[in-house]
Amino acid sequence: MSLTNPSTGPGSVAAARSNLKRSVQAAFEDPADRTHGPIGYQSKVHVTDKYNVIGFISSGTYGRVYKARGRQGQPGEFAIKKFKPDKEGEQVTYTGISQSAVREMALCSELSHANVIRLVEIILEDKCIFMVFEYAEHDLLQIIHHHTQQPRHPIPPSTIKSIMFQLLNGCQYLHTNWVLHRDLKPANIMVTSSGEVKIGDLGLARLFQKPLHSLWSGDKVVVTIWYRAPELLLGSRHYTPAIDMWAVGCIFAELLSLRPIFKGEEAKMDSKKTVPFQRNQMQKIVDVMGLPTKDRWPLLPSMPEYAALSALQPPLGHHHGGHYQRAPPGGGSHLEKWYYNTINQHTGGSSPSLQTLGAEGHHLLASLLEYDPDRRLTAAAALQHAFFSTGPDKASLNCFEGLKAEYPHRRVSQDDNDIRTSSLPGTKRNGQPDDSLRPGKRLKE
Amino acid sequence: MAANYWESTQRKHWQFTKDELANVRQRLEDDDPGLVQMFPLPQLRHLNIYFNQQINRLGKRLGVRQQPMATAQVYTKRFYTRVEIRRTNPYLVMATAVYLACKMEECPHHIRMVAGEARSLWPNENQSIDASKLGECEFFLISEMSSHLIIHQPYRTLTTLQADFALTQDEASLSWSVINDHYMTDLPLLYPPHVVALTAMLLAITLRPTPGQASASTSGSNFHGAGAALTHAQQARAAMGGSSSVNSSGMMAMPTFSPQSSGGLQSMAAGADGAKPPLLDSRAKVTRFAAWLAESNIDIEAMVDCTQELISFYECHEQYNDKHTREQITRFIKARGL
Repeated sequence: MSLTNPSTGPGSVAAARSNLKRSVQAAFEDPADRTHGPIGYQSKVHVTDKYNVIGFISSGTYGRVYKARGRQGQPGEFAIKKFKPDKEGEQVTYTGISQSAVREMALCSELSHANVIRLVEIILEDKCIFMVFEYAEHDLLQIIHHHTQQPRHPIPPSTIKSIMFQLLNGCQYLHTNWVLHRDLKPANIMVTSSGEVKIGDLGLARLFQKPLHSLWSGDKVVVTIWYRAPELLLGSRHYTPAIDMWAVGCIFAELLSLRPIFKGEEAKMDSKKTVPFQRNQMQKIVDVMGLPTKDRWPLLPSMPEYAALSALQPPLGHHHGGHYQRAPPGGGSHLEKWYYNTINQHTGGSSPSLQTLGAEGHHLLASLLEYDPDRRLTAAAALQHAFFSTGPDKASLNCFEGLKAEYPHRRVSQDDNDIRTSSLPGTKRNGQPDDSLRPGKRLKE
Repeated sequence: MAANYWESTQRKHWQFTKDELANVRQRLEDDDPGLVQMFPLPQLRHLNIYFNQQINRLGKRLGVRQQPMATAQVYTKRFYTRVEIRRTNPYLVMATAVYLACKMEECPHHIRMVAGEARSLWPNENQSIDASKLGECEFFLISEMSSHLIIHQPYRTLTTLQADFALTQDEASLSWSVINDHYMTDLPLLYPPHVVALTAMLLAITLRPTPGQASASTSGSNFHGAGAALTHAQQARAAMGGSSSVNSSGMMAMPTFSPQSSGGLQSMAAGADGAKPPLLDSRAKVTRFAAWLAESNIDIEAMVDCTQELISFYECHEQYNDKHTREQITRFIKARGL
C-alpha cells in the first residue's frame, strides 16, 4: 500500500491481517490521493513505473529499504530507501522533510566515489521520498556474522586488508570534501558482489566546513555507541573527522575478532532530555585502552565530562599505585595483548591465519584508536600506512579476491510485514539476528 | 562534490549561459502563451528584486542569517527556471525556500513557525500558507531542483581572501553588500561563486568606500577603475604567455556610466576629498589585485561581464517600483486562486 492511503482505521483488524502478506510491490503502489489544490504536487516520475520491487531488505527509524530491478532496461539491481512520512492521526499529511533526509539527499547527490554508495535518483511521490541506490549484495555486519557461524573462522587477512583500504579510501574522499559521516559501523559499510566496499547511509552525515553553529548544537547524539569516539563520550563539542576514524578503528578490530571491541551499554536520556555520561561505554574502552592521560591527550582536562573519568576503573592488572600508567613502547599494552591474542587464535585451522597481518596491523589499530583526536590517524595518513604495503597480501580493490567460497546473499523478504503500522525505532533488519541487539542511534534530531 | 565547486551539481547543472537561461525562460512562457498574456508581469529584473526583498524580510523575522537566506534566494531562482511563475504562488515558494534552506544550512525552523511568520508577513497575498501546503511545496521545490540542494556561495571566497588582499573593514563590508545585491540579479545562475566574490572585492577596492559608508554605490569613474584593472590583468596574463588571447573587448565592453544616473540607488561612495591616504593605499591594492588575477586562472572575461551586470542592475534598480510589482503578482494569485 501507499502511505498516502489512510483507509484502514483502528477497527479494521481483519483488513489489516489480510494485508499482512501483501506483496512488497504494493508498498509502492496505490496512490490514493491524487487530488490537489492549485499548486498540487505530482511527481513526473513514478517509482512503480520505473522499478519492479522484488523484496524487502530492512527497516529503520527513517523508513524501509527494498530491493528492486529496473523496468525500463536499467542495468543492475537497486536498493530503494523509502522514507516514511509523518502521520497526524490516521491522515498522512505533508509535515516537512526531516533534516536527516534533507542532508542525505543533498550529500548523496553531490558525492561520487568508488567507495561511497552511488545514488541513482531521488523520486518524491505521494508524500514519500524514494532514494534509489545501487544495490550491494553484502555488508560488513553480514560478513562478520557469517564468520561467527560454526565453525567460527576468521575473515581472511587479504579480505580484511582490502576492506580497510577501501573503507579508508572512501573516508578520505568524504573528509577531503568536508563531509563527516558520523555513523560508521559494520551495518553501514556495504560490499558489492565484486568485492567493492561502499560507505552507505549518510543520514547523519554533515558538512563540517565552517558550520553556522557548532556541529554539536544540531543533534546531540551521534554515532552508534559502540563506535563512538572518546571525545564524544566525554562531551566534546568540537568534533572533527577524527570521530569517523575512531569508528574505523573499531570496525578494524571487529573484522579481526568478529565482535565489537567496545561493547558497552547505552545509558538512556533522562526525562529532562539531558545527555547522560556514557559511563559503561567509556569503561569498556578503558578496559582495553587504559585510562586516557594528559600526557597522551593534552586537551583531556578541558573535556566537559573529564571529572567523570575518575570514577572509572583502571583496567585490571595495570595498577601502579592506583594510577594507570600507559605501558612503555614494546612493554605490552592491553590493546597490544588484545591484538596478538586475536590474530593468534584459530591458527592451524583450514582458514588462513591472521598472523600475517603482523606488527603493522597492531600499529594501524593503535593509531586509529588513539585517544587524542588530534593525534589520531587521518584517513589520508592511514592509507599510507605500512600495513597496506607489507606482508604477503597487498590491498586489492576486490576484497573477495582469491576466495573460493562465496558469502551468502542478502536476505530479501517477500513479506512486507506491517508496513501500515510504523516500525519501532531501531528495529531489526531482516535476517540479521545480531542487529536487533545492537544499540539504536539518533535519539533526537 | 559537497565542498568542491568544480565537481558540484551547481557547476554541472545550474550554471547557465545567458542564452541558455533566456531559452529556458522563453520555453516556460511558450508553454502557455494565454496565461502569459492575461497576466503581464514586471520586467524580470524587478521581479528578482521583489523576490529578494521578500525573502530577506521573512528571513529577518525568523532571525535567519545571511547564508541560509542566500541559499533560499538561489533555490527560488532555480525553481523559476523550471516552473512558470504564474502557475505558482510566489509567496508560498519563497516561504518554502526559506524553510528548506534553513534545514540545509543547519539552522532549522519548525515548519509551523515558518508558515506562521509567512502568513503574518504577507497577510493579504495569501489565503492560506499553512504547514501542509509548505510541506507539499517542499516536495515541488526539491523535485524541480533535482534534489541539488548544496549551494556554493561567494561569501566563503570573500572571507577566505579578504585578508590576502588586505581589505579594510569597509572594503570587506562593501564587498559583502555587493554580494548581497547580486542575489537580486541572475548572476548566481550565470557565474561561479568565486567570480562573483572577486568582482565584488574589485568593486569594493576601486569604489573606495569611506569609513562607515559601506554601501554599494554607482560611480561611473569608479566602475572604470574596475574595468581598467581587469584589462590590465588580462594583458598581463597574455604577456606572460598565458593561453588566453589579449582581449581588449573586455575594456571596450565596459559601459560608460552616465554620472547623472549614479548615486540615486544608494548613497555615493566617498568623493576624492578626505580620502587621500586610502586612495594611495587603494591604488596599490588594485595593482596587487590585478597582478594576482593575471597569475591566476580566474576567468577574467566572466568578471568583466559580472561587473557589467552589476552596473546595469544598479541602474535598473532606480526604476524599480515595489508597489507596482506587488500588485501584478497579487493579480494572478487572486485570479487563479493560487
